[in-house]
Amino acid sequence: MSIRACALESEAFLALKDVYDHRERAAGQWRSKGGKVVGKLGSDVPDELVIAAGMLPVQICAAPDRELAEAGKYLENAFDPVVRAQFERLVDGTYGDQLDALAISNSNDTIIRIFYYLREIHRVEPEKNVPPVAFIDWTFTRSRIWQERCEFVLNLFRQQVEQWAGRTVSDDEIRAAGRLMNENRAALRAMAALRRGEEVRVNGSEALTIIGAGLFMEKAEHTALVRQVTEDAKGWPVLTGPRVFYTGANQEDTELYQKLEELGLVVVGEDTDWGDRSYERDFDLTYPVLRGVVDRYFLRTPTVEKSRVAQSVEILSRQVESTGAEGVVFYTNAYAEVATFNMPDQRKMLDGRGVKHVTLSRMTYPIRNNEGLDEKLAAFAAGMRGGE
Amino acid sequence: MAEEKRPASKSAAVKKLAATKAAGAYQKKWFLEMRERVEREGCDFAILNADVPMEIFRAMDIPFVVNQWWSAICGAKRKTKRYFELMRENGYRPDLDSYCAMALAESFDPDDKKLDADGNPIGPWGGLPKISISITRATSDSLVKIYDLLARNHGGELYVMGNTIARKTPLNWYELTADRWEELYDSDRLDAAVEDLKELIRWLEMKTGKLFDINKLQEVMDLVNEQEGYYKKIRDLIASCHPVPVTVVDTINAVMQAQWQRGTRWAADHARGLYEEIRALADKGEAAVPNEKLRMMWLGRGMWQDFAFYQRFEEKYGAVFMWSMYLAMGADAYTRNHVEQDPLRALAARFVGMEDFLHMPPWNSSWFIQQAKQNDIDGVVYMIPDNDVIALEGSYFIIKNLEAAGIPVLSFQADPVNVGKWNAETMTGMVEEFIERRVIPNQKK
Repeated sequence: MSIRACALESEAFLALKDVYDHRERAAGQWRSKGGKVVGKLGSDVPDELVIAAGMLPVQICAAPDRELAEAGKYLENAFDPVVRAQFERLVDGTYGDQLDALAISNSNDTIIRIFYYLREIHRVEPEKNVPPVAFIDWTFTRSRIWQERCEFVLNLFRQQVEQWAGRTVSDDEIRAAGRLMNENRAALRAMAALRRGEEVRVNGSEALTIIGAGLFMEKAEHTALVRQVTEDAKGWPVLTGPRVFYTGANQEDTELYQKLEELGLVVVGEDTDWGDRSYERDFDLTYPVLRGVVDRYFLRTPTVEKSRVAQSVEILSRQVESTGAEGVVFYTNAYAEVATFNMPDQRKMLDGRGVKHVTLSRMTYPIRNNEGLDEKLAAFAAGMRGGE
Repeated sequence: MAEEKRPASKSAAVKKLAATKAAGAYQKKWFLEMRERVEREGCDFAILNADVPMEIFRAMDIPFVVNQWWSAICGAKRKTKRYFELMRENGYRPDLDSYCAMALAESFDPDDKKLDADGNPIGPWGGLPKISISITRATSDSLVKIYDLLARNHGGELYVMGNTIARKTPLNWYELTADRWEELYDSDRLDAAVEDLKELIRWLEMKTGKLFDINKLQEVMDLVNEQEGYYKKIRDLIASCHPVPVTVVDTINAVMQAQWQRGTRWAADHARGLYEEIRALADKGEAAVPNEKLRMMWLGRGMWQDFAFYQRFEEKYGAVFMWSMYLAMGADAYTRNHVEQDPLRALAARFVGMEDFLHMPPWNSSWFIQQAKQNDIDGVVYMIPDNDVIALEGSYFIIKNLEAAGIPVLSFQADPVNVGKWNAETMTGMVEEFIERRVIPNQKK
């Protein structure tokens, strides 16, 4: 286990780990008190609007050991295996029983198709237990006209949220939710500071657990626990070992990070929405509310899929610099490998800086099903240790 | 060796129309003249994704090629194997969006502009000219990367147009496209697409120093309507003929090659010539397959590497592949009347939904059923690209709807570009089995 005993002695960490390990529980409790729960598929569903309407946003996630009978029926081969596993739970009734509604953001090409398919299932197979679906048509092309259109799109989503909630949502409520989210992001940034710098005290698996729990629970409660665990972690033993930065597909659990950590590596950061990217850029409370939401999601650091190639090199260079990483793990799931177009230039940049790297592509889900992964990681770790 | 046992390749495809041959000859002549002009004048040259509104470039007289057309040329010139190697050698995955990445692979080829030992050009037709403008719509993240790298490798500039997702999806879209296109889309989508066009035009004017003239665009749009109108006549004529006078082997290339020239006098005249030629065959009662018994529909991209495949079932079963999306899209998807009221909005109404008609349920499946019925289709062979996110199109719904309408479907997943993965013998066997076990028994019901 790469989650250390010191972490497991922290009550705050244990509470977060409990939510992370039992992802449906908080939502179930919320609903049992009469609250509504909105599932989020994609990384750009604005929590601010859902929370402002008094509903609980929770991230859609895959289940590693489930048969994918429904996904096999509806989806072609060329779907990301993690999305395939998420889709299974959306269509087999799991989320139909747990959610009041589902919001999908066009965060990548595959997810757009999932929206099309769910919309069509609602039309032609209405008997399926699939939650009501709304799509947020962000246009991430960075120019004035698309930034403006995003405000229009977010207003449509606001109206949808109001319909789900059965009431209007005021600007003040959105601003209050923005403040709540900013506090949460600030707490996570303070925790993340303990992953880098002179003394690293929180490892990657612990960080993923702390960050990830927030995707499934009420934000104020999460913020309080993150603050407490950050205080606790200041006394945790300093981690030694080669530092690595992770870039690529979201890791919805700690299995990969545990493998890296068992090999003596320290994961000091990542560019994913289940990691560091989730708390980047605040909601600017001085803007009109919808412009503030657009600003937060439209202008934060683009994902590896949405960035231009040169931009991806610049972003990775900055991340390696800021985290002090000595190595980089590139990771892409099968059929979701847009990021591989960045990699030749990124690897060239890393080679120029003497930063080692390993590329894991065509990956399947769950992690343990990838043949040869352990050997590849072991060779990478040996190379990293040799460079110490 | 398995390679030697494969049935005859592309060269054995029997093409009988003069218009098909004329289109093939014209496109090479056009390309060589265009490249010569680019080199002589040192002017801008653009590469466009298939759904970028080429009409703007036509109206502004900016030379361009459409990337996917060029991929087909690369495939026909048997360059895919070499280009896959070049992608790999340069650190890129050769199997990702390979249909769109041929020009990128070519840009890595140091020998592209050289001649071989016999004095023949090594690059397809001597290779693409230097690209100064690389444009795609943001219909896929990988496309943006490909065009980004293309621009960089050629020392050109990338321009990305936006993309929006349809909320409104009237099932009878094919009845609305020509005259009621304002009803077809959410108004805000059209508004945004028009703004996007205006931004593009401003950028092109700054980049090239050329003036955009709205009257010239209207001329181009009128020519497109004229051309596509003939495709509708051809499609309707073929659908009404029993037996059909021509097959997809005749129509795919004739239409596709001219489609990339749309908005020119040549393309409109070529479409008219194609119609007149097929009309004459129909009037004479000529049959493409004299013993026509089964009318087959091909769903998916053209089998560029093996066109003869479509004809392998004619003699044995009287099975004629008579429908492909290429002609039918021309018939149903492109025409936009009432151009004079607002040419830019009419153009926006053409390109904003082009991908959706083919790849978005329910638009694709509702159209395929309507087309299958109009064409009296007995069976559908459906090739689903196995490595391409862009082509994820709800095949489950397409198959389910066609089968529910009583039309048997054979679906299979394959790479439409990679010759190395194509096994004609296996595929022929699959289709024969499908015909014998599903199509013929179903027809007898």
